[in-house]
Amino acid sequence: MSAQPHLAFVGASKRFADGTQALADITFDVPRGQVCALVGPSGSGKSTLLRAVNGLTELTSGAVLVDGAPVDAEHLPAVRRKVGMVYQHYGLVDRASVAENMIAGAVADIATWRALLGIYPAAYRVKACALLAEVGLSPEHLTRRVSELSGGQRQRVGIARALMLDPEILVADEPVASLDPRVSVEVLDLMRREARARGATILCSLHQVDLARRFADRIVALRAGRLMFDGPAAAFDEAATLAIYGSAAEEGR
Amino acid sequence: MSLTRVSPEARSASPWRFPAAVRPRALAVWLLLLAAIVVSAPSVEAGRMLRMTGEAVAALATGGKSQVGDGLGAIGRQLIPLQVSERREVSRIEDFDRDRLPLFSRIEVVDTRTERLDPETLQMRSVVERAEYLVEPVGYLVRVGVKLWETLMIAFWGTLLAVLMSAPLAFFSARNLTPHAWVYGGARAVVSLLRAVPELVSALFLVVAYGFGPVAGVLALALHGAGFLGKFYAEDVEAADPKPQEALAATGANRLKVLRFAILPQVIPQYIGYTLYVLDRNFRMATVVGLVGAGGIGQELKGRFDMYNYHHVGTILVAMFAAVFLIDQVSARLRRAHF
Repeated sequence: MSAQPHLAFVGASKRFADGTQALADITFDVPRGQVCALVGPSGSGKSTLLRAVNGLTELTSGAVLVDGAPVDAEHLPAVRRKVGMVYQHYGLVDRASVAENMIAGAVADIATWRALLGIYPAAYRVKACALLAEVGLSPEHLTRRVSELSGGQRQRVGIARALMLDPEILVADEPVASLDPRVSVEVLDLMRREARARGATILCSLHQVDLARRFADRIVALRAGRLMFDGPAAAFDEAATLAIYGSAAEEGR
Repeated sequence: MSLTRVSPEARSASPWRFPAAVRPRALAVWLLLLAAIVVSAPSVEAGRMLRMTGEAVAALATGGKSQVGDGLGAIGRQLIPLQVSERREVSRIEDFDRDRLPLFSRIEVVDTRTERLDPETLQMRSVVERAEYLVEPVGYLVRVGVKLWETLMIAFWGTLLAVLMSAPLAFFSARNLTPHAWVYGGARAVVSLLRAVPELVSALFLVVAYGFGPVAGVLALALHGAGFLGKFYAEDVEAADPKPQEALAATGANRLKVLRFAILPQVIPQYIGYTLYVLDRNFRMATVVGLVGAGGIGQELKGRFDMYNYHHVGTILVAMFAAVFLIDQVSARLRRAHF
Protein backbone atom coordinates (compact mmCIF):
# COMPACT_ATOMS: atom_id res chain seq x y z
CA MET A 1 0.00 0.00 0.00
CA SER A 2 1.36 3.32 -0.97
CA ALA A 3 1.08 6.34 1.26
CA GLN A 4 -0.57 8.24 -1.55
CA PRO A 5 -4.38 8.46 -1.19
CA HIS A 6 -6.25 6.53 -3.83
CA LEU A 7 -8.78 9.29 -4.37
CA ALA A 8 -8.41 12.87 -3.19
CA PHE A 9 -10.58 15.97 -3.37
CA VAL A 10 -8.58 19.17 -3.01
CA GLY A 11 -10.68 22.28 -2.53
CA ALA A 12 -13.24 20.96 -4.99
CA SER A 13 -15.79 23.68 -5.84
CA LYS A 14 -18.55 23.81 -8.37
CA ARG A 15 -20.82 26.68 -9.24
CA PHE A 16 -23.47 26.00 -11.87
CA ALA A 17 -24.29 28.45 -14.65
CA ASP A 18 -27.43 29.51 -12.77
CA GLY A 19 -25.29 30.60 -9.81
CA THR A 20 -26.02 27.64 -7.53
CA GLN A 21 -23.02 26.75 -5.42
CA ALA A 22 -23.16 22.95 -5.59
CA LEU A 23 -19.80 22.31 -3.96
CA ALA A 24 -17.76 24.66 -1.80
CA ASP A 25 -14.15 23.86 -1.08
CA ILE A 26 -14.46 20.13 -0.43
CA THR A 27 -11.23 18.50 0.74
CA PHE A 28 -10.81 14.90 1.83
CA ASP A 29 -8.81 11.77 0.94
CA VAL A 30 -9.93 8.20 0.48
CA PRO A 31 -7.20 5.60 1.04
CA ARG A 32 -7.04 2.52 -1.16
CA GLY A 33 -9.57 -0.18 -0.26
CA GLN A 34 -11.75 2.02 1.93
CA VAL A 35 -15.53 1.97 1.73
CA CYS A 36 -16.57 5.58 2.04
CA ALA A 37 -20.21 6.66 2.18
CA LEU A 38 -21.33 10.12 1.21
CA VAL A 39 -24.49 11.29 2.96
CA GLY A 40 -26.50 14.48 2.97
CA PRO A 41 -29.94 15.81 2.07
CA SER A 42 -31.13 16.15 -1.53
CA GLY A 43 -29.32 18.92 -3.36
CA SER A 44 -26.35 18.86 -0.99
CA GLY A 45 -23.89 18.20 -3.83
CA LYS A 46 -23.35 14.44 -3.46
CA SER A 47 -24.00 13.64 -7.12
CA THR A 48 -21.95 16.57 -8.35
CA LEU A 49 -18.99 15.44 -6.27
CA LEU A 50 -19.27 11.84 -7.54
CA ARG A 51 -19.64 12.93 -11.14
CA ALA A 52 -16.49 15.01 -10.85
CA VAL A 53 -14.50 11.82 -10.16
CA ASN A 54 -14.64 10.70 -13.77
CA GLY A 55 -15.11 14.03 -15.41
CA LEU A 56 -18.88 13.94 -16.00
CA THR A 57 -18.94 17.29 -14.20
CA GLU A 58 -16.15 19.80 -14.50
CA LEU A 59 -15.15 21.57 -11.30
CA THR A 60 -15.09 25.36 -11.20
CA SER A 61 -12.00 25.28 -9.03
CA GLY A 62 -10.02 22.77 -7.04
CA ALA A 63 -9.21 19.27 -8.23
CA VAL A 64 -9.95 15.58 -7.94
CA LEU A 65 -6.86 13.39 -7.86
CA VAL A 66 -6.95 9.71 -8.76
CA ASP A 67 -3.71 8.00 -7.77
CA GLY A 68 -2.24 11.48 -7.51
CA ALA A 69 -3.13 12.42 -11.09
CA PRO A 70 -5.64 15.23 -11.60
CA VAL A 71 -8.86 14.45 -13.47
CA ASP A 72 -8.36 16.69 -16.48
CA ALA A 73 -8.50 16.36 -20.25
CA GLU A 74 -5.07 14.73 -20.31
CA HIS A 75 -5.70 12.10 -17.63
CA LEU A 76 -9.43 11.56 -18.21
CA PRO A 77 -9.12 8.46 -20.45
CA ALA A 78 -6.82 6.76 -17.94
CA VAL A 79 -9.06 7.79 -15.02
CA ARG A 80 -12.18 6.48 -16.71
CA ARG A 81 -10.55 3.06 -17.06
CA LYS A 82 -9.90 2.98 -13.33
CA VAL A 83 -13.32 4.20 -12.21
CA GLY A 84 -16.45 2.05 -12.47
CA MET A 85 -19.81 3.78 -12.03
CA VAL A 86 -23.02 2.46 -10.48
CA TYR A 87 -26.18 4.56 -10.82
CA GLN A 88 -29.47 4.98 -9.00
CA HIS A 89 -31.42 4.27 -12.19
CA TYR A 90 -28.91 1.59 -13.21
CA GLY A 91 -27.91 3.28 -16.48
CA LEU A 92 -28.82 0.11 -18.34
CA VAL A 93 -30.63 -0.11 -21.68
CA ASP A 94 -34.02 -1.57 -20.73
CA ARG A 95 -34.79 -2.96 -24.16
CA ALA A 96 -31.43 -4.68 -24.59
CA SER A 97 -30.55 -8.07 -23.16
CA VAL A 98 -28.47 -8.49 -20.02
CA ALA A 99 -25.68 -9.91 -22.20
CA GLU A 100 -25.64 -6.80 -24.45
CA ASN A 101 -25.57 -4.53 -21.40
CA MET A 102 -22.65 -6.46 -19.94
CA ILE A 103 -20.66 -6.14 -23.16
CA ALA A 104 -21.53 -2.44 -23.21
CA GLY A 105 -19.62 -2.15 -19.93
CA ALA A 106 -16.44 -3.39 -21.62
CA VAL A 107 -16.97 -1.86 -25.02
CA ALA A 108 -14.42 0.88 -24.33
CA ASP A 109 -11.78 -1.86 -24.45
CA ILE A 110 -13.06 -3.58 -27.61
CA ALA A 111 -12.02 -2.49 -31.10
CA THR A 112 -14.74 -0.36 -32.70
CA TRP A 113 -15.25 -2.65 -35.70
CA ARG A 114 -15.58 -5.69 -33.43
CA ALA A 115 -18.05 -3.85 -31.23
CA LEU A 116 -20.16 -2.73 -34.19
CA LEU A 117 -20.19 -6.11 -35.90
CA GLY A 118 -20.96 -7.92 -32.66
CA ILE A 119 -17.78 -10.05 -32.76
CA TYR A 120 -16.88 -9.73 -29.10
CA PRO A 121 -13.60 -11.21 -27.85
CA ALA A 122 -14.16 -14.50 -26.02
CA ALA A 123 -12.43 -13.15 -22.89
CA TYR A 124 -15.18 -10.57 -22.36
CA ARG A 125 -17.97 -13.04 -22.99
CA VAL A 126 -16.49 -15.40 -20.41
CA LYS A 127 -15.97 -12.54 -17.99
CA ALA A 128 -19.54 -11.30 -18.37
CA CYS A 129 -20.83 -14.75 -17.45
CA ALA A 130 -18.47 -15.06 -14.50
CA LEU A 131 -19.42 -11.65 -13.11
CA LEU A 132 -23.16 -12.28 -13.50
CA ALA A 133 -22.73 -15.55 -11.63
CA GLU A 134 -20.80 -13.70 -8.91
CA VAL A 135 -23.52 -11.11 -8.38
CA GLY A 136 -26.11 -13.87 -8.09
CA LEU A 137 -27.88 -14.06 -11.44
CA SER A 138 -28.51 -17.28 -13.29
CA PRO A 139 -27.62 -18.28 -16.86
CA GLU A 140 -31.18 -17.83 -18.16
CA HIS A 141 -30.98 -14.11 -17.30
CA LEU A 142 -28.34 -13.56 -20.01
CA THR A 143 -30.88 -13.39 -22.83
CA ARG A 144 -33.59 -11.57 -20.84
CA ARG A 145 -34.25 -7.95 -21.48
CA VAL A 146 -33.35 -5.67 -18.59
CA SER A 147 -36.98 -4.50 -18.52
CA GLU A 148 -37.99 -8.01 -17.44
CA LEU A 149 -35.76 -7.95 -14.33
CA SER A 150 -36.63 -6.75 -10.83
CA GLY A 151 -34.99 -3.62 -9.43
CA GLY A 152 -32.57 -5.63 -7.31
CA GLN A 153 -31.57 -7.79 -10.28
CA ARG A 154 -31.05 -4.70 -12.41
CA GLN A 155 -28.69 -3.17 -9.87
CA ARG A 156 -26.82 -6.48 -9.67
CA VAL A 157 -26.36 -6.26 -13.43
CA GLY A 158 -25.33 -2.61 -12.99
CA ILE A 159 -22.64 -3.61 -10.52
CA ALA A 160 -21.46 -6.52 -12.66
CA ARG A 161 -21.24 -4.21 -15.65
CA ALA A 162 -19.19 -1.69 -13.67
CA LEU A 163 -16.76 -4.52 -12.86
CA MET A 164 -16.22 -5.50 -16.51
CA LEU A 165 -13.14 -3.30 -16.86
CA ASP A 166 -11.65 -4.24 -13.45
CA PRO A 167 -12.05 -0.81 -11.87
CA GLU A 168 -9.88 0.17 -8.94
CA ILE A 169 -12.49 2.62 -7.72
CA LEU A 170 -16.25 2.03 -7.64
CA VAL A 171 -18.27 5.22 -7.60
CA ALA A 172 -21.93 4.65 -6.80
CA ASP A 173 -24.53 7.40 -6.94
CA GLU A 174 -27.49 6.44 -4.71
CA PRO A 175 -27.25 2.81 -5.82
CA VAL A 176 -30.12 1.65 -3.62
CA ALA A 177 -32.44 4.67 -3.62
CA SER A 178 -34.90 2.86 -5.92
CA LEU A 179 -34.80 -0.44 -4.03
CA ASP A 180 -36.69 -1.76 -1.02
CA PRO A 181 -34.83 -1.99 2.33
CA ARG A 182 -34.09 -5.71 2.27
CA VAL A 183 -32.77 -5.64 -1.31
CA SER A 184 -30.83 -2.46 -0.50
CA VAL A 185 -28.88 -4.27 2.20
CA GLU A 186 -28.20 -7.20 -0.14
CA VAL A 187 -26.99 -4.96 -2.94
CA LEU A 188 -24.73 -2.90 -0.69
CA ASP A 189 -23.27 -6.07 0.87
CA LEU A 190 -22.65 -7.40 -2.61
CA MET A 191 -20.91 -4.22 -3.68
CA ARG A 192 -18.67 -4.22 -0.60
CA ARG A 193 -17.85 -7.90 -1.03
CA GLU A 194 -16.90 -7.41 -4.68
CA ALA A 195 -14.77 -4.37 -3.86
CA ARG A 196 -12.97 -6.12 -0.99
CA ALA A 197 -12.22 -9.14 -3.21
CA ARG A 198 -10.53 -6.82 -5.70
CA GLY A 199 -8.94 -4.41 -3.26
CA ALA A 200 -11.05 -1.68 -4.83
CA THR A 201 -12.07 1.56 -3.19
CA ILE A 202 -15.75 2.53 -2.90
CA LEU A 203 -17.19 6.01 -2.82
CA CYS A 204 -20.93 5.71 -2.52
CA SER A 205 -23.63 8.26 -1.87
CA LEU A 206 -26.59 7.14 0.22
CA HIS A 207 -29.51 8.92 1.70
CA GLN A 208 -30.29 6.37 4.40
CA VAL A 209 -27.98 7.07 7.33
CA ASP A 210 -28.59 3.68 8.93
CA LEU A 211 -27.51 1.91 5.74
CA ALA A 212 -24.43 4.12 5.49
CA ARG A 213 -23.46 3.29 9.06
CA ARG A 214 -23.85 -0.42 8.45
CA PHE A 215 -22.15 -0.46 5.02
CA ALA A 216 -19.28 2.02 5.19
CA ASP A 217 -15.95 2.22 6.99
CA ARG A 218 -16.19 5.95 6.93
CA ILE A 219 -18.86 8.58 6.41
CA VAL A 220 -18.47 11.95 4.78
CA ALA A 221 -21.48 14.24 5.10
CA LEU A 222 -22.32 17.20 2.92
CA ARG A 223 -24.89 19.90 3.37
CA ALA A 224 -25.49 22.69 0.88
CA GLY A 225 -22.20 21.85 -0.83
CA ARG A 226 -20.13 22.03 2.36
CA LEU A 227 -18.34 19.23 4.14
CA MET A 228 -20.07 18.91 7.52
CA PHE A 229 -18.76 15.63 8.87
CA ASP A 230 -15.87 13.31 8.13
CA GLY A 231 -15.10 10.35 10.34
CA PRO A 232 -15.53 6.67 11.10
CA ALA A 233 -19.00 5.35 10.33
CA ALA A 234 -19.59 4.53 14.00
CA ALA A 235 -18.96 8.13 14.98
CA PHE A 236 -21.82 9.40 12.85
CA ASP A 237 -24.39 9.52 15.68
CA GLU A 238 -27.82 11.02 16.27
CA ALA A 239 -26.39 14.46 16.85
CA ALA A 240 -24.48 14.34 13.54
CA THR A 241 -27.59 13.15 11.73
CA LEU A 242 -29.62 15.97 13.19
CA ALA A 243 -26.92 18.48 12.27
CA ILE A 244 -26.99 17.32 8.65
CA TYR A 245 -30.67 16.64 8.12
CA GLY A 246 -32.59 18.00 11.08
CA SER A 247 -32.64 21.71 10.63
CA ALA A 248 -32.83 21.31 6.86
CA ALA A 249 -36.07 19.43 7.37
CA GLU A 250 -37.52 22.43 9.18
CA GLU A 251 -36.33 24.87 6.55
CA GLY A 252 -37.69 22.77 3.74
CA ARG A 253 -41.22 22.51 5.13
CA MET B 1 -36.98 14.78 13.32
CA SER B 2 -39.13 17.61 14.58
CA LEU B 3 -42.68 18.05 13.40
CA THR B 4 -43.36 21.33 11.68
CA ARG B 5 -46.46 23.15 12.74
CA VAL B 6 -49.17 23.95 10.21
CA SER B 7 -51.01 27.23 10.61
CA PRO B 8 -54.85 27.07 10.62
CA GLU B 9 -55.09 29.44 7.64
CA ALA B 10 -53.13 27.07 5.39
CA ARG B 11 -55.61 24.30 6.17
CA SER B 12 -58.70 26.31 5.19
CA ALA B 13 -59.86 26.12 1.60
CA SER B 14 -59.86 29.84 0.88
CA PRO B 15 -56.40 30.18 -0.81
CA TRP B 16 -57.19 27.17 -3.00
CA ARG B 17 -58.83 27.59 -6.34
CA PHE B 18 -59.15 24.66 -8.73
CA PRO B 19 -58.16 25.77 -12.26
CA ALA B 20 -60.99 26.18 -14.79
CA ALA B 21 -61.07 23.61 -17.60
CA VAL B 22 -61.57 26.22 -20.34
CA ARG B 23 -59.23 29.16 -19.93
CA PRO B 24 -59.41 32.42 -21.89
CA ARG B 25 -56.35 31.52 -23.91
CA ALA B 26 -57.88 28.27 -25.13
CA LEU B 27 -61.06 30.13 -26.01
CA ALA B 28 -59.04 32.69 -27.97
CA VAL B 29 -57.29 29.94 -29.91
CA TRP B 30 -60.63 28.39 -30.88
CA LEU B 31 -62.03 31.75 -31.99
CA LEU B 32 -58.90 32.42 -34.03
CA LEU B 33 -59.27 29.03 -35.72
CA LEU B 34 -62.90 29.78 -36.53
CA ALA B 35 -61.94 33.17 -37.99
CA ALA B 36 -59.25 31.50 -40.12
CA ILE B 37 -61.82 29.06 -41.52
CA VAL B 38 -64.27 31.84 -42.40
CA VAL B 39 -61.63 34.07 -43.98
CA SER B 40 -59.97 31.32 -46.03
CA ALA B 41 -63.14 29.63 -47.32
CA PRO B 42 -63.54 31.77 -50.48
CA SER B 43 -60.01 31.15 -51.73
CA VAL B 44 -60.66 27.40 -51.95
CA GLU B 45 -64.24 27.83 -53.21
CA ALA B 46 -65.51 26.05 -50.13
CA GLY B 47 -69.05 27.23 -50.93
CA ARG B 48 -69.09 25.58 -54.34
CA MET B 49 -67.58 22.41 -52.88
CA LEU B 50 -70.35 22.18 -50.29
CA ARG B 51 -73.12 23.05 -52.76
CA MET B 52 -72.09 20.57 -55.46
CA THR B 53 -71.43 17.79 -52.97
CA GLY B 54 -74.80 18.47 -51.38
CA GLU B 55 -76.52 18.30 -54.74
CA ALA B 56 -74.78 15.02 -55.54
CA VAL B 57 -75.81 13.50 -52.21
CA ALA B 58 -79.38 14.72 -52.67
CA ALA B 59 -79.47 13.35 -56.23
CA LEU B 60 -78.16 10.04 -55.00
CA ALA B 61 -80.93 9.87 -52.41
CA THR B 62 -83.77 10.91 -54.74
CA GLY B 63 -82.46 9.35 -57.95
CA GLY B 64 -82.18 12.72 -59.68
CA LYS B 65 -79.35 14.22 -61.67
CA SER B 66 -76.32 16.21 -60.56
CA GLN B 67 -73.17 17.50 -62.22
CA VAL B 68 -70.82 15.63 -59.93
CA GLY B 69 -72.81 12.40 -60.20
CA ASP B 70 -72.96 12.61 -63.98
CA GLY B 71 -69.23 13.26 -64.25
CA LEU B 72 -68.24 10.40 -61.98
CA GLY B 73 -70.85 8.14 -63.57
CA ALA B 74 -69.56 8.84 -67.07
CA ILE B 75 -66.04 7.86 -66.08
CA GLY B 76 -67.23 4.88 -64.06
CA ARG B 77 -69.24 3.48 -66.96
CA GLN B 78 -66.23 3.70 -69.26
CA LEU B 79 -63.97 1.85 -66.83
CA ILE B 80 -66.22 -1.18 -66.98
CA PRO B 81 -65.78 -3.85 -68.27
CA LEU B 82 -62.22 -4.12 -67.01
CA GLN B 83 -59.66 -5.06 -69.61
CA VAL B 84 -58.36 -8.54 -68.97
CA SER B 85 -57.12 -9.83 -72.31
CA GLU B 86 -54.57 -8.33 -74.65
CA ARG B 87 -54.92 -8.21 -78.40
CA ARG B 88 -52.02 -7.10 -80.54
CA GLU B 89 -51.50 -7.01 -84.27
CA VAL B 90 -48.96 -9.69 -85.17
CA SER B 91 -47.19 -7.51 -87.72
CA ARG B 92 -46.35 -5.04 -84.96
CA ILE B 93 -44.77 -7.63 -82.68
CA GLU B 94 -41.03 -7.81 -83.00
CA ASP B 95 -39.47 -11.25 -83.44
CA PHE B 96 -42.86 -12.91 -83.65
CA ASP B 97 -42.51 -16.70 -83.78
CA ARG B 98 -45.64 -18.38 -85.11
CA ASP B 99 -44.59 -21.79 -83.83
CA ARG B 100 -43.95 -20.70 -80.28
CA LEU B 101 -46.95 -18.76 -79.11
CA PRO B 102 -47.20 -17.60 -75.50
CA LEU B 103 -49.19 -19.85 -73.15
CA PHE B 104 -52.98 -19.88 -73.68
CA SER B 105 -52.78 -17.45 -76.57
CA ARG B 106 -54.23 -17.85 -80.02
CA ILE B 107 -54.09 -16.08 -83.35
CA GLU B 108 -57.19 -14.37 -84.63
CA VAL B 109 -57.55 -13.56 -88.30
CA VAL B 110 -59.67 -10.59 -89.22
CA ASP B 111 -60.60 -9.73 -92.77
CA THR B 112 -61.66 -6.19 -93.36
CA ARG B 113 -63.40 -5.27 -96.58
CA THR B 114 -62.87 -1.71 -97.68
CA GLU B 115 -63.92 0.17 -100.80
CA ARG B 116 -61.01 1.73 -102.52
CA LEU B 117 -60.44 3.65 -105.73
CA ASP B 118 -58.55 1.66 -108.33
CA PRO B 119 -56.05 4.07 -109.91
CA GLU B 120 -56.17 2.24 -113.26
CA THR B 121 -59.86 1.78 -113.84
CA LEU B 122 -60.86 4.75 -111.75
CA GLN B 123 -63.61 2.53 -110.34
CA MET B 124 -64.40 1.86 -106.71
CA ARG B 125 -63.31 -1.65 -105.85
CA SER B 126 -63.67 -3.61 -102.68
CA VAL B 127 -60.41 -4.84 -101.21
CA VAL B 128 -60.02 -7.43 -98.49
CA GLU B 129 -57.33 -6.67 -96.00
CA ARG B 130 -56.27 -9.50 -93.80
CA ALA B 131 -54.84 -8.74 -90.38
CA GLU B 132 -53.67 -11.25 -87.80
CA TYR B 133 -53.97 -10.58 -84.10
CA LEU B 134 -52.32 -12.34 -81.22
CA VAL B 135 -54.91 -12.72 -78.48
CA GLU B 136 -53.78 -13.47 -74.94
CA PRO B 137 -56.85 -14.14 -72.77
CA VAL B 138 -55.29 -12.77 -69.53
CA GLY B 139 -52.50 -10.91 -71.25
CA TYR B 140 -53.30 -7.48 -69.89
CA LEU B 141 -53.75 -8.80 -66.37
CA VAL B 142 -50.27 -10.31 -66.58
CA ARG B 143 -48.89 -7.05 -67.91
CA VAL B 144 -50.43 -5.11 -65.02
CA GLY B 145 -49.04 -7.69 -62.62
CA VAL B 146 -45.56 -7.21 -64.05
CA LYS B 147 -45.90 -3.43 -63.77
CA LEU B 148 -47.15 -3.74 -60.19
CA TRP B 149 -44.15 -5.88 -59.33
CA GLU B 150 -41.90 -3.26 -60.90
CA THR B 151 -43.65 -0.59 -58.82
CA LEU B 152 -43.14 -2.64 -55.68
CA MET B 153 -39.45 -3.00 -56.48
CA ILE B 154 -39.16 0.74 -57.10
CA ALA B 155 -40.68 1.32 -53.66
CA PHE B 156 -38.38 -1.26 -52.08
CA TRP B 157 -35.23 0.16 -53.64
CA GLY B 158 -36.32 3.71 -52.93
CA THR B 159 -36.74 2.77 -49.26
CA LEU B 160 -33.48 0.87 -49.14
CA LEU B 161 -31.51 3.81 -50.53
CA ALA B 162 -33.42 6.20 -48.25
CA VAL B 163 -32.40 4.20 -45.17
CA LEU B 164 -28.76 4.09 -46.31
CA MET B 165 -28.66 7.82 -47.01
CA SER B 166 -30.55 8.85 -43.89
CA ALA B 167 -28.31 6.93 -41.45
CA PRO B 168 -25.33 9.31 -41.71
CA LEU B 169 -27.66 12.30 -42.02
CA ALA B 170 -29.40 11.31 -38.79
CA PHE B 171 -26.08 10.76 -37.04
CA PHE B 172 -24.86 14.24 -37.92
CA SER B 173 -28.17 16.01 -37.36
CA ALA B 174 -28.73 14.60 -33.86
CA ARG B 175 -27.60 17.14 -31.32
CA ASN B 176 -26.10 14.56 -28.98
CA LEU B 177 -23.97 12.82 -31.62
CA THR B 178 -22.91 15.50 -34.08
CA PRO B 179 -19.21 16.30 -33.90
CA HIS B 180 -19.62 20.04 -34.47
CA ALA B 181 -22.34 22.71 -34.49
CA TRP B 182 -21.63 23.51 -38.16
CA VAL B 183 -21.91 19.86 -39.19
CA TYR B 184 -25.19 19.76 -37.28
CA GLY B 185 -26.49 22.83 -39.09
CA GLY B 186 -25.40 21.50 -42.48
CA ALA B 187 -26.96 18.08 -41.94
CA ARG B 188 -30.20 19.67 -40.72
CA ALA B 189 -30.29 21.87 -43.83
CA VAL B 190 -29.78 18.89 -46.15
CA VAL B 191 -32.51 16.92 -44.37
CA SER B 192 -34.96 19.83 -44.63
CA LEU B 193 -34.13 20.38 -48.29
CA LEU B 194 -34.66 16.71 -49.13
CA ARG B 195 -37.99 16.72 -47.33
CA ALA B 196 -39.07 20.02 -48.89
CA VAL B 197 -38.90 18.71 -52.47
CA PRO B 198 -41.87 16.42 -53.19
CA GLU B 199 -41.18 13.13 -54.97
CA LEU B 200 -43.21 14.17 -57.99
CA VAL B 201 -41.13 17.32 -58.50
CA SER B 202 -37.75 15.64 -58.15
CA ALA B 203 -39.01 12.82 -60.40
CA LEU B 204 -39.72 15.41 -63.13
CA PHE B 205 -36.08 16.47 -63.09
CA LEU B 206 -34.68 12.98 -62.62
CA VAL B 207 -36.60 11.72 -65.64
CA VAL B 208 -34.83 14.38 -67.67
CA ALA B 209 -31.48 13.36 -66.19
CA TYR B 210 -31.82 9.56 -66.22
CA GLY B 211 -34.45 9.07 -68.91
CA PHE B 212 -37.80 7.29 -68.63
CA GLY B 213 -37.92 4.23 -66.40
CA PRO B 214 -37.54 3.04 -62.85
CA VAL B 215 -34.15 4.66 -62.09
CA ALA B 216 -35.71 8.12 -61.84
CA GLY B 217 -38.50 6.72 -59.68
CA VAL B 218 -36.15 4.95 -57.29
CA LEU B 219 -33.99 8.04 -56.83
CA ALA B 220 -36.95 10.39 -56.39
CA LEU B 221 -38.39 8.19 -53.64
CA ALA B 222 -34.98 7.69 -52.04
CA LEU B 223 -34.24 11.41 -51.79
CA HIS B 224 -37.54 12.35 -50.18
CA GLY B 225 -37.49 9.26 -47.97
CA ALA B 226 -33.98 10.10 -46.77
CA GLY B 227 -35.18 13.54 -45.70
CA PHE B 228 -38.13 12.08 -43.85
CA LEU B 229 -36.21 9.28 -42.16
CA GLY B 230 -33.22 11.52 -41.40
CA LYS B 231 -35.45 13.86 -39.43
CA PHE B 232 -37.30 11.16 -37.52
CA TYR B 233 -34.25 8.98 -36.84
CA ALA B 234 -32.41 12.03 -35.50
CA GLU B 235 -35.30 13.11 -33.29
CA ASP B 236 -35.49 9.68 -31.71
CA VAL B 237 -31.76 9.64 -31.12
CA GLU B 238 -32.10 12.98 -29.34
CA ALA B 239 -35.05 11.77 -27.28
CA ALA B 240 -33.33 8.53 -26.20
CA ASP B 241 -32.79 8.07 -22.47
CA PRO B 242 -29.46 9.79 -21.71
CA LYS B 243 -28.61 7.71 -18.63
CA PRO B 244 -27.27 4.62 -20.45
CA GLN B 245 -25.41 6.91 -22.85
CA GLU B 246 -23.72 8.69 -19.98
CA ALA B 247 -22.94 5.39 -18.30
CA LEU B 248 -21.20 4.23 -21.47
CA ALA B 249 -19.38 7.49 -22.10
CA ALA B 250 -18.16 7.30 -18.49
CA THR B 251 -16.30 4.09 -19.30
CA GLY B 252 -14.49 5.88 -22.12
CA ALA B 253 -16.50 4.46 -25.03
CA ASN B 254 -16.44 6.53 -28.23
CA ARG B 255 -19.49 8.03 -29.98
CA LEU B 256 -20.02 5.13 -32.38
CA LYS B 257 -20.00 2.64 -29.53
CA VAL B 258 -22.41 4.78 -27.51
CA LEU B 259 -24.67 4.89 -30.57
CA ARG B 260 -24.52 1.14 -31.05
CA PHE B 261 -24.87 0.03 -27.42
CA ALA B 262 -26.83 2.78 -25.66
CA ILE B 263 -28.94 4.45 -28.35
CA LEU B 264 -29.78 1.94 -31.08
CA PRO B 265 -31.31 -0.65 -28.75
CA GLN B 266 -33.66 2.07 -27.48
CA VAL B 267 -34.75 3.39 -30.88
CA ILE B 268 -34.83 0.27 -33.08
CA PRO B 269 -38.57 -0.42 -32.65
CA GLN B 270 -39.48 3.13 -33.67
CA TYR B 271 -37.01 2.94 -36.57
CA ILE B 272 -38.69 -0.19 -37.88
CA GLY B 273 -42.03 1.57 -37.60
CA TYR B 274 -40.84 4.63 -39.56
CA THR B 275 -39.17 2.50 -42.20
CA LEU B 276 -42.29 0.40 -42.73
CA TYR B 277 -44.32 3.59 -43.00
CA VAL B 278 -41.93 4.94 -45.64
CA LEU B 279 -42.07 1.65 -47.55
CA ASP B 280 -45.87 1.74 -47.46
CA ARG B 281 -45.94 5.37 -48.53
CA ASN B 282 -43.30 4.75 -51.20
CA PHE B 283 -45.45 2.10 -52.81
CA ARG B 284 -48.28 4.60 -53.23
CA MET B 285 -45.86 7.34 -54.31
CA ALA B 286 -44.17 4.98 -56.80
CA THR B 287 -47.45 4.85 -58.73
CA VAL B 288 -47.64 8.65 -58.69
CA VAL B 289 -44.08 9.30 -59.90
CA GLY B 290 -44.82 6.85 -62.70
CA LEU B 291 -47.22 9.47 -64.08
CA VAL B 292 -44.25 11.63 -65.10
CA GLY B 293 -42.48 8.66 -66.68
CA ALA B 294 -40.52 7.30 -63.75
CA GLY B 295 -41.51 3.68 -64.36
CA GLY B 296 -43.94 1.23 -62.84
CA ILE B 297 -47.72 1.02 -62.94
CA GLY B 298 -48.07 4.82 -62.94
CA GLN B 299 -46.38 5.12 -66.29
CA GLU B 300 -48.75 2.49 -67.70
CA LEU B 301 -51.75 4.29 -66.17
CA LYS B 302 -50.73 7.60 -67.66
CA GLY B 303 -50.22 6.06 -71.10
CA ARG B 304 -53.60 4.33 -71.10
CA PHE B 305 -55.38 7.40 -69.78
CA ASP B 306 -53.89 9.57 -72.50
CA MET B 307 -54.98 7.04 -75.16
CA TYR B 308 -58.54 6.97 -73.72
CA ASN B 309 -58.17 3.26 -72.97
CA TYR B 310 -60.48 3.53 -69.98
CA HIS B 311 -61.07 -0.21 -69.68
CA HIS B 312 -57.34 -0.62 -69.16
CA VAL B 313 -57.39 2.23 -66.66
CA GLY B 314 -60.14 0.39 -64.77
CA THR B 315 -58.01 -2.75 -64.52
CA ILE B 316 -55.04 -0.73 -63.31
CA LEU B 317 -57.07 1.05 -60.63
CA VAL B 318 -58.53 -2.20 -59.31
CA ALA B 319 -55.11 -3.83 -59.30
CA MET B 320 -53.59 -0.85 -57.45
CA PHE B 321 -56.33 -0.92 -54.85
CA ALA B 322 -55.82 -4.65 -54.33
CA ALA B 323 -52.07 -4.21 -53.99
CA VAL B 324 -52.28 -1.36 -51.48
CA PHE B 325 -54.82 -3.30 -49.43
CA LEU B 326 -52.53 -6.34 -49.42
CA ILE B 327 -49.50 -4.30 -48.40
CA ASP B 328 -51.47 -2.67 -45.57
CA GLN B 329 -52.34 -6.11 -44.24
CA VAL B 330 -48.75 -7.33 -44.47
CA SER B 331 -47.19 -4.26 -42.87
CA ALA B 332 -49.77 -4.23 -40.07
CA ARG B 333 -48.93 -7.84 -39.37
CA LEU B 334 -45.18 -7.10 -39.45
CA ARG B 335 -45.58 -4.27 -36.95
CA ARG B 336 -47.67 -6.38 -34.60
CA ALA B 337 -45.15 -9.18 -34.82
CA HIS B 338 -42.33 -6.93 -33.74
CA PHE B 339 -43.77 -4.92 -30.90
